[in-house]
Amino acid sequence: MLNDYLTADTMLFASDVDGWRDAIHRVAAPLMASGSITQQYEDAILDSIAAGGVYIDLGFGIALAHSRPENGVLKTGLSSLRVATPVLLNDDAEHPIDLFFCLAATDATGHLDTMQELASLLTDDDLRTRLLAADSPAAALAVIHEIGTTE
Amino acid sequence: MKFLAVCSSGLGSSFMVHMNIEKVLKELGITGIDVDHSDVGSVSAGDADTFFVGADLAEATESLGDVVVLKSIIDINELREKVRETATRKGITVPEAGSAA
Repeated sequence: MLNDYLTADTMLFASDVDGWRDAIHRVAAPLMASGSITQQYEDAILDSIAAGGVYIDLGFGIALAHSRPENGVLKTGLSSLRVATPVLLNDDAEHPIDLFFCLAATDATGHLDTMQELASLLTDDDLRTRLLAADSPAAALAVIHEIGTTE
Repeated sequence: MKFLAVCSSGLGSSFMVHMNIEKVLKELGITGIDVDHSDVGSVSAGDADTFFVGADLAEATESLGDVVVLKSIIDINELREKVRETATRKGITVPEAGSAA
């Protein structure tokens, strides 16, 4: 479930992020620390964004950074980084990001429950707005705990 | 009838769109549509009746046939309207004709 992955340790908040590469590096850090991914995974994400892969921009200032399982995923993981000022993905003014997620998936369907909850969270106007307004892991977790109770 | 969500990796945004299409179909009371997700590298024209992609893949997927391009993949209102339009266009009865809650 989502709150197995998104915890006080994996939800980061920063006001000193220096560009999109630093944002990706920071949001990947908890997954590196927990042994979910290798450096190769972070590099694969950076490379794909640099190659024009702004596909990770979900809209509403939210990005889901991820790559393929074979690019260094060891186990499923999810982390987030809320930046105080929007970061331009690939320095592209059309892609300002406030909230980064980093998803590590071991295969295309194994993370079904997690994706279902993440989709519910991000597509619910009320929950998404409050998640973006959360300024601490505790506040963000309070929003996450409401998933499923509003439907 | 099959709808296929497609993204670059085949497991991030396409999975999310897949989930949301199922959610919207349920809301609209539409049955009999299979939904799945895939990556743009392994998808081909016969894989589905309609393909749902993010704006970034609009050009890359033009040749697949019936392609619905989403401005934001987490905008459930946009998706609901586009699923409704697509179903109607395909001759599928949409029980919930008004706006869903």
